Amino acid sequence: MLNMKDISRIYRSDTIQTHALRDFNLQVNTGEFVAVTGPSGSGKSTFLNVAGLLDSFDKGSYELDGINIQGLNDDELSRLRNEKIGFIFQNYNLIPDFNLFDNVDMPLRYRGFNATERKRRISNALEQVGLASRANYLPSQLSGGQQQRVAIARALAGEPKILLADEPTGNLDSLMARQVMELLHTLNTEGSTIIMVTHDPDQARAVGRNIQVIDGQITDHSVYAPINGNATINVNV
Amino acid sequence: MEMFNYYLKLSMRNLVRNRLFFILMISTLAVGVGVFLANIAIIKSMSTDPIPQKSERIFNVTLNIWTGNDASGDLIEIMRYDDAMHILKNDIATHTMVHYQSQVYARELGSKSLTRQKAVVRATTPGFFPLTDAPFAFGSSWQQDHAKQIVIGDTLNQKIFGGGNNVGKTLEIDGKPFEIVGILKPWKLKPLFYHVAYGQKFNPTDDIFAPIETALDNEWAINVRNSATDRINSVSDNRGKNGYFIQAFVQLDTLAQKKEMQQYINNYSQQRLQQGENLRDYDNRLLDVNQWLVHKEVVDERMLAFGIATSLFLAVCIFNASSLLLARFHSSRFETGLRRAVGARMKDVFYQGLVESLLIGICCAIFALLFGWMFLQISINLFPALEHTSDIDGALILIGVIIALTTSFISMLYPLIRSCRTSLSTTLK
Repeated sequence: MLNMKDISRIYRSDTIQTHALRDFNLQVNTGEFVAVTGPSGSGKSTFLNVAGLLDSFDKGSYELDGINIQGLNDDELSRLRNEKIGFIFQNYNLIPDFNLFDNVDMPLRYRGFNATERKRRISNALEQVGLASRANYLPSQLSGGQQQRVAIARALAGEPKILLADEPTGNLDSLMARQVMELLHTLNTEGSTIIMVTHDPDQARAVGRNIQVIDGQITDHSVYAPINGNATINVNV
Repeated sequence: MEMFNYYLKLSMRNLVRNRLFFILMISTLAVGVGVFLANIAIIKSMSTDPIPQKSERIFNVTLNIWTGNDASGDLIEIMRYDDAMHILKNDIATHTMVHYQSQVYARELGSKSLTRQKAVVRATTPGFFPLTDAPFAFGSSWQQDHAKQIVIGDTLNQKIFGGGNNVGKTLEIDGKPFEIVGILKPWKLKPLFYHVAYGQKFNPTDDIFAPIETALDNEWAINVRNSATDRINSVSDNRGKNGYFIQAFVQLDTLAQKKEMQQYINNYSQQRLQQGENLRDYDNRLLDVNQWLVHKEVVDERMLAFGIATSLFLAVCIFNASSLLLARFHSSRFETGLRRAVGARMKDVFYQGLVESLLIGICCAIFALLFGWMFLQISINLFPALEHTSDIDGALILIGVIIALTTSFISMLYPLIRSCRTSLSTTLK
């Protein structure tokens, strides 16, 4: 599904070069749920931005769903983002004066679906996150956890190949965080590939695979047993 | 079309959500476009070809004959009665007319009302009508030089008779009866090319057209500048004397006609020279309508300077609007970034911005036309001389809309490009 080889991302200012990612290698297979952990400034978000085609890279190669990203123009990258990737942000990033329906509708508009198809997908997505009855609500009328579920519905509506979540529970209390995590696990069980950046070690342990990023490189690569299992395998790379 | 509707919906939402901002921005642009438009209205009226179908074939005749001692000075368009009669009897031009302006008070003969209407008179010759393409509604010109017959304009016809065909009726002018033989349709001629001198250039067309001989016979006063090197005791005394007050125009349809006419007036001034008269420093001139309007500086240079100033003002308004939009796009980077993240292409963001600029442009056009009209009224109140100079017609409304849309687009362009190029990874968390 996702295959990064020797990816480097360098941010340059007049005087400083910062290696946000350094020879970064990662392969994620279809159906995996991968947690990315690491301290602040380690390169987690850069990795997610590169993976989500929101940012470019300076070196290496990246294939998403069998498509080599290198050399693609803006139109092609936008289409890939639209068709293959669903984003879930820490701040939900809902448009405050759009109701839930219109928020979820946004990516579908750029896909060129007709009104009937859009409506079907929006209903399904809101149904999946348990908010079908509130399609006409504004985000401000919902709790933080519900808003994040709307963001998940928006990500799901396009039926993407992979979900990229950047600290999806970072702004939520523990109860709501648990609900959102349960939803993500359910989606993964149903076949969605998910990569999630998190600071929470418990959440990281609760998913099938955990990678730790420090100084732009993967330093720890752990594969855990299924969520209810006890076995843990640590692979250092 | 579906995406256009979507962009329109988003733009409407943005306008409503940021209404104070957009009111400020649209007002900024509308004031700039409005002032510019008002200025264009004035300049356009000043620089319009009044008779485009034949302006290059109608010529003002300026003679260099002068009976005074001073040979220097600018072209002088007025000539003596005898000069005018000599021009009139040429058999070269397709049409020839000579004229002077007078003013009388007129009422319908036999009317119960004793109220007399002030009327501007063009004392002229029958060639005036075909030369200027004056449109007759009823009747035609007089046939005899001394006939007590007149043609009246539509405005006077409305004032005295309330309109309609009044050919055959009689007007009392300064106590004497004059038969109406022709009535013109409403007729605008801007600038009034046959009489652009002495502040008359944007006057409406005349109320009464009368034979020049009749006007002289009846001592109808010369209403504009005249000059004389003889003692002249009355208006009719100008005949045969050195009183300069008549203007002449000829219609010359071919180059051969023009050459022949030039030779005709040159021969005439040489003949006058031999008779002991003086010639001024310049040549006899035949200037066509547009050359004549340029020579008479119908487009005031101060207006052109003001035009440049209003253009600069418009540029400042565009710059300000652009700065405002830049700030707004900066504040809406999140939404743009989000849209890009979920699949909008750069061109989608750009098209959305274009639709928004179209919407702003339409609002701006409406307000600009309103402001333009207001500025024009203010200008006319401050400078009454502009009253007949300018009006906002259909063409100008179209120009206003185009300028408003263009300025809106220009204002939007740079912020939009910046917005499209915003790094996605920095705007979303």
